[in-house]
Amino acid sequence: MIAKRHPLAALLVIPVVLALLAAGCGGGSSSSSGGGGSADEGDLTYWYWGESDAPGANKWMKQMIARYEKLHPKVHIKLVPQATDTLIGAFKTASQTKRGPDIATQWATLPVLTPAWTGATAPLSDLIPKSETDNWISTQENISQGKLWGMPQYLLGVPFVWNKQMFRAAGLDPDTPPATFDDLLAACTKLKAKGYTPIGMGNKDGYTGAWFFAIYGKSQLSSVADLQGIVTGKAKFSDPKYSGFYEQMAKLRQSGCFNDDISSLDLNQGWQLFPRKKAAMAWTTDGNALTWAKAIGAANIGVGAPPRFGNGALASYYTTTQSSSAMITSWSKHKKAAAAFLTFLHTPAALDAWYAETGVFPADKRFSASRITNPVAKQLYRLATQKSVWGENYLPPQVDQNADLPAGQLITSGSGAPSKAASLWDTVLQQWKTQHPDEYQHYQQWANG
Amino acid sequence: MWPYLFIAPALGAIGLVFVYPLVQVVRDSFYAGSTDTLTYVGTANYKNVVQDPVFRHSLLNNLKLLVTVPVMTALALLIAVMLNDRIRGWRQYQAIVFLPYILPATAIGLTFSYLLQRNGVLNTFLRDAGLGALAPDWLGSASWVVPAIGGVVVWQQLGFGVVVFTAALLALPAEVTEAARIDGAGWWQIQRRIHIPQIRRIVEFFVVLEAITVLSQVFNYVYVLTGGGPGNASSVLEFYIWKNGFSLGSVGTASTVSVILLALASVLIAIYMRLRARDAEV
Repeated sequence: MIAKRHPLAALLVIPVVLALLAAGCGGGSSSSSGGGGSADEGDLTYWYWGESDAPGANKWMKQMIARYEKLHPKVHIKLVPQATDTLIGAFKTASQTKRGPDIATQWATLPVLTPAWTGATAPLSDLIPKSETDNWISTQENISQGKLWGMPQYLLGVPFVWNKQMFRAAGLDPDTPPATFDDLLAACTKLKAKGYTPIGMGNKDGYTGAWFFAIYGKSQLSSVADLQGIVTGKAKFSDPKYSGFYEQMAKLRQSGCFNDDISSLDLNQGWQLFPRKKAAMAWTTDGNALTWAKAIGAANIGVGAPPRFGNGALASYYTTTQSSSAMITSWSKHKKAAAAFLTFLHTPAALDAWYAETGVFPADKRFSASRITNPVAKQLYRLATQKSVWGENYLPPQVDQNADLPAGQLITSGSGAPSKAASLWDTVLQQWKTQHPDEYQHYQQWANG
Repeated sequence: MWPYLFIAPALGAIGLVFVYPLVQVVRDSFYAGSTDTLTYVGTANYKNVVQDPVFRHSLLNNLKLLVTVPVMTALALLIAVMLNDRIRGWRQYQAIVFLPYILPATAIGLTFSYLLQRNGVLNTFLRDAGLGALAPDWLGSASWVVPAIGGVVVWQQLGFGVVVFTAALLALPAEVTEAARIDGAGWWQIQRRIHIPQIRRIVEFFVVLEAITVLSQVFNYVYVLTGGGPGNASSVLEFYIWKNGFSLGSVGTASTVSVILLALASVLIAIYMRLRARDAEV
């Protein structure tokens, strides 16, 4: 009757009613708990990331999958390599819909723990015996509520590398790298005088800045609790104790230490300058250092701890992390099969194959250091197994992406002073607390033990 | 009754595909947290977003990119009127100018991300030609990054304008032009007084369409060329929405900015519809 008298109104009402019905039915998460299944059966999807840290990682993983499937014919694993800039976002989307992989990769600590706190992942300690996980190194990076949430595969150290030939030509001691910030500035001056680009990095994607925070953000700090204090609000990031390293980064830029195109190259592009002998120094990964040693000759590359910038207790800590961790999703219907595969990746044969393929050190006590014969690798291993902390791991992903990355870009592009970079952190931290009160609460509980 | 039943499936599809997401986005703009842990916060998201310097800067960047609209309109008109003279090879020229428009924005972004590096192809060429002063860090400088993105947008969108204006000019009655020539009108007078006024509606349509494009369809360029950097200098509203909504799971913030963007686009659409209505009255 109404439609007859008011056909236009009816025409408009129908889609709105349908939409409201759909809105009422939609939203909310679908059932999230998948079953454990059998350890020896199942189709698994593995969202994998590792190639950027360890060239050869994808090849190794494909080999391991092939081996595993041969040993366990009822298990099929589909490998889906992930991109760096969508690693967190893609899994966030999957965890919101509770659909996606059975095994996923995330960077250690907060990127692993944040989905754990929202119920998107299953605790590995419930699926893998302690006798196994006790052999894994750096598991403390992924512990929360007494449970382990991510499996380490390798150790990623951040050595400082220098070109000995260029050092020699510039009148610097090729066997003595800069030990302090002032030494680094002095080395930059001499290298520039010789026409060399002192430091070759790329910060278009923000990751040089993020690494600077990881390596030097702890320079004036006493403990990990200080790092967590930035996030919980016990301290303001704009306090020079926390943000002072941006002054040093700005000085390096103003002194012309960085390559002049650092802001238009991403990290991987910037890293190409050192092996092409277009830059004399860089901060890089263990895997890259070994590859570059082959490129320019092991006798021409120096590797060591980064120059020390501060006097806090953590200033002497090396910067190592497991970097990426493997997690089992809560919606996976084959958790036991996933756990069995992850355990397989830590068998001695798998660890040896990993090292042979990538040259990056496995995060497992059962890996024998005697297998490391390369002299450069031995130096890197000594560094990687020192006491260490990777500050960036303690940042919630939103703070890392919206503050850590762009703040460093402000410095390297010259478009913002260190105070502006620090202010960005304070703003983003406040935004994160407002937009994710649940995450903030979990973080506080975790930080308070 | 039967007519409405016949169109009900189409209306249902529109409701589900268009109206439902719209309702959901508006609803989510009043909530904070991730999708599975939403908390009602009223208008707090709107207040927080307006106070966020990155949002304000993103909006400003979109407004700056609006400058590309008169630039590409003028360039497209100029090229179209030249091609309309049926110069030799005009069809080939038209195809060449149109080619960027059919290329995927991602591929264009990737290519230009290499071309526009500080020591990339463009700057190397400029320096070799003794024009080093014109070779800034296009993508790494906060001052130049938005004009660089604008330049890429103009390069790609120009071809569409040329094709649209050329088609409109070709459809004009030849007698009017002939009469003007007989009366002694020069080339420029013909274009300015006769051709362009006659295709005014097409030009208005193009301007509004491109204004909406630079407001809401430049994400690909920003994402691939700069990732919003350096230091959020090239962030635009779409990128802000993507980063918060998809990358970081801040659904409330992303939805809030989506509603604001919709409002801005609606203003442009309303202007266009008003212009059309005015023309219909005339």
